[in-house]
Amino acid sequence: MEAGSSLLRAIDYSKCIGCETCEVVCGFIHELGPFIKLYELGGGVKKPISCFHCSKAPCIEACPTGAMRKDQYGAVYVEPSKCIGCMACLYACPFGIPELSEVTKTSTKCDLCRDLRREGLTPACVAMCPTRAIILGPPRAIGDEVKRRALTKIVYLGELK
Amino acid sequence: MKFAFLCRERPGAAKQRVAVIGSGPAGLSATGYLVCRGYEVDVYDKLPIPGGMMTFAIPKYRIPLDSIMEGVDELKSKFSVQFNLATKVICGERHDEGDELATNTVDLLKLVEGYDAVLISTGTWRSRRLGVPGDDAKNVMSALEFLLNLHMVDLGLRKSHIGSFKKVVVVGGGLSAIDAAEESVLRGAQEVYLVYRRTIKEAPAGEYEVRRLMRMGVNWIELAAPKSIVVENGSARGIVFQRMKLGEPDETGRPRPVPIPGSEFTIEADTVIAAIGEIPTPPIASECGDLAKYVGKDGRISVDKNYRISGRNIFAAGDVVTGPSKIGNAVGQGLRAAKEIDKFLSARILAAVPR
Repeated sequence: MEAGSSLLRAIDYSKCIGCETCEVVCGFIHELGPFIKLYELGGGVKKPISCFHCSKAPCIEACPTGAMRKDQYGAVYVEPSKCIGCMACLYACPFGIPELSEVTKTSTKCDLCRDLRREGLTPACVAMCPTRAIILGPPRAIGDEVKRRALTKIVYLGELK
Repeated sequence: MKFAFLCRERPGAAKQRVAVIGSGPAGLSATGYLVCRGYEVDVYDKLPIPGGMMTFAIPKYRIPLDSIMEGVDELKSKFSVQFNLATKVICGERHDEGDELATNTVDLLKLVEGYDAVLISTGTWRSRRLGVPGDDAKNVMSALEFLLNLHMVDLGLRKSHIGSFKKVVVVGGGLSAIDAAEESVLRGAQEVYLVYRRTIKEAPAGEYEVRRLMRMGVNWIELAAPKSIVVENGSARGIVFQRMKLGEPDETGRPRPVPIPGSEFTIEADTVIAAIGEIPTPPIASECGDLAKYVGKDGRISVDKNYRISGRNIFAAGDVVTGPSKIGNAVGQGLRAAKEIDKFLSARILAAVPR
């Protein structure tokens, strides 16, 4: 991935089967995690949610100490040495993503696996999703993929089978 | 699924050798972790294609085959993992579902001698039987057997489907019941019944999945359990069900289904699918030294908190330890067991250093 080009992660809920692999692998590699979590919405339907890494992230605006930051790929992350655990970020987040760690007393959240990406690797939830419901890439490529998937639901391709 | 998601290449030359028995989500995740920690890993699976239930039981519209194979191919080409397929590893003798696809048998105890550590992740490849008169008729099958057959046909491993497949009755309320009923509809069955002994609220697959199938045209019948199979010339022609009512909570906390006397009714069927649960299939089917004592009555392998059979270089993870579960659980079990194997083998190297 080129430096400076931003990353977008998207979850295709029509492909997700609620298998919990994303949550489990995230929890396996992050002591304070998981930072992608499934919630039951009723009737046995369970789906994951994680940070959207907003382009204009309100959590960064709200953070009084400059602990909430964005890396060069647009991933929003917490610099723990600056964080005072006030959780203004949680108030600001429309999705309730940041969590207060009882261990470090700081805000914690998904950083799109910064450590793995530094090694040229893919975030764990994306790498291990069995259904390819979780996708990551430059915004334009993700936009194209989402639209291509939508088309396969609309256009009949039965003759090809 | 990039099973080796923690590294780009194997760090340094292979240090020690690990065998992984069973290439489902637990085994492949463990393999991915271990190659990234520098181990040489050989994978054994009784089926001719890796992936376990993900490849041979879960419908392809849920998990695409190339998602699994992408990770498997990377393990082979980049990490030199050797896949010994169609190879059943067992100590003693036992026939499980899918065993007919194995062309080789390897003795577990001999295999253990050849490796520094062994991980057992053989899953749950036996199904509970209905346990009613006539359940041995030839068109009565388990959901696993049914789904396995469909996958074998799709993968080019078998020519035709089983059963005449016009009126299908699926017994059960879990995800394998859902998958069997949905595959039946998609593959052209004229009438599909899904029959569960409790109500939609208790169905382990969840109310949403049941309602989704009803919308597809599946006939949902709740509060009924099979009493006998109507058999003619060795073939099932129908099932006699008995109505149930919900009683006091049982040991699982769910209301116990209580039969209502005189409430029997019959549903015609040419395919009867029992989807009432799968049982762990450890590669231990006789005394096997003293290994048998680590296998419970329910077939599950008992391991210590480090996923290890105490005092041995044998570890176990996944559904063969927990019983049937979700892919995520199996992946987590495999990863944590692999981490323990790494700790165990690293400690052994340290201990061997002369002081």
